Amino acid sequence: MDVVKMIAAGSCLIIGMVFFLLCTFGVNRFKRSLNRIHAAAVGDTLGLLFTMAGLIIWRGFSFTSLKLLAVVVFFWLASPVAAHMLARLEVETHEDLGEIEVDRR
Amino acid sequence: MSRKKQDYEHSFLYHFRQWVAGNVDPLEGTMEIRVPQKKAAETVAPDLKQIRTVYDPSKNKELKRFNRLYKASSLLLVLLLMGVLIWAMGFMPEIGAEAAPAHNATAGRYVEKGLEETGAVNFVTGMILDYRAFDTFGESCVLFIATICVQILLRVDKDSSWRKGRKTEEAEDSFRPGEDVVLQKVSTVLVPLIFIFGIYVILNGHLSPGGGFSGGAIVGAGLILYVNAFGFEKTERFFTGKTFKIITVASLSFYALAKTYSFYTGANHLPTGIPLGVPGAILSSGLILPLNICVGMVVACTMYAFYALFRKGGF
Repeated sequence: MDVVKMIAAGSCLIIGMVFFLLCTFGVNRFKRSLNRIHAAAVGDTLGLLFTMAGLIIWRGFSFTSLKLLAVVVFFWLASPVAAHMLARLEVETHEDLGEIEVDRR
Repeated sequence: MSRKKQDYEHSFLYHFRQWVAGNVDPLEGTMEIRVPQKKAAETVAPDLKQIRTVYDPSKNKELKRFNRLYKASSLLLVLLLMGVLIWAMGFMPEIGAEAAPAHNATAGRYVEKGLEETGAVNFVTGMILDYRAFDTFGESCVLFIATICVQILLRVDKDSSWRKGRKTEEAEDSFRPGEDVVLQKVSTVLVPLIFIFGIYVILNGHLSPGGGFSGGAIVGAGLILYVNAFGFEKTERFFTGKTFKIITVASLSFYALAKTYSFYTGANHLPTGIPLGVPGAILSSGLILPLNICVGMVVACTMYAFYALFRKGGF
């Protein structure tokens, strides 16, 4: 049982780390702001979810894991909205967005 | 009746109240600063082409050389500094060594007697708000002074020429944070939670990690989120410049009054008169809880004030 738990937790952590790595690469390598915002949002949502899920499995269901779950809920509420606001500002202020079609309302 | 009113307008109290309210500028007409008359015709439009060639490294050889020199010298400086720091690390005592200067009687005293003397389960809070309360008082005052300095630099007066030049509606409009449905819906859920969490962190400062500074920062962040979602006219119903003044000045003066006794008695650890209570209970550890609340209010007000001043130059 412990081995199964360990493997599940470890693979969750590794997947989360991979998402964080992708996010870091994206933020540093992409040329356009909208792409960078997208990459950053990936790390904040999926990376955080898998990392915290791994920790919750590792820890078992206790008060600490409830707190970790609260962290995940908070980030899933806040981070996409932050990305949305950044993207909105970018679309409103950037004159040359490249080859994207923007529905300006 | 009219004579009475005239008397009042000449009285010291009236002038003082006008001065406090900011209606009168006592320096007006007495200082040798004259606003220069604008000469619109004489201003010459800058030659953009010339400016571009001056600041383009591919055309300006001197700038190119300077850039190269700058990069090389900054790299050299950083490497030198790294070398000095690494060299200095060789002289540091080993980690955990008993002879290290950090391991003196003070730390042991805090750990052994801290709970008994301060009543705070959280040693850090016991330290910063009891043994080293002056230090924390100085930090809160630094926050207050920083807000005042930002206010001096950034505050936009109601009748300033910058505002007069624009139409009032346009000026108000540019201050209004973008009205976004997504942000508004999410912040209706998040803002109360953030406030409650911040208040929890402040009130449990002596029991669990946290305290005035972190809790105040959380409450301030909640206020900023609220402003961003709903605009300044909503927050100005309960938080204006007057509120800021009252809250910060009241908190800081309460802190000062509560802690001056030990200053005037030689900074000894004196009993406060408030019973320490049972360690672990919410109403325990004497003065630490009210001081935590004071610090939290000052920090929250400072965060919001900074945001409001940078955003629109006033509350």
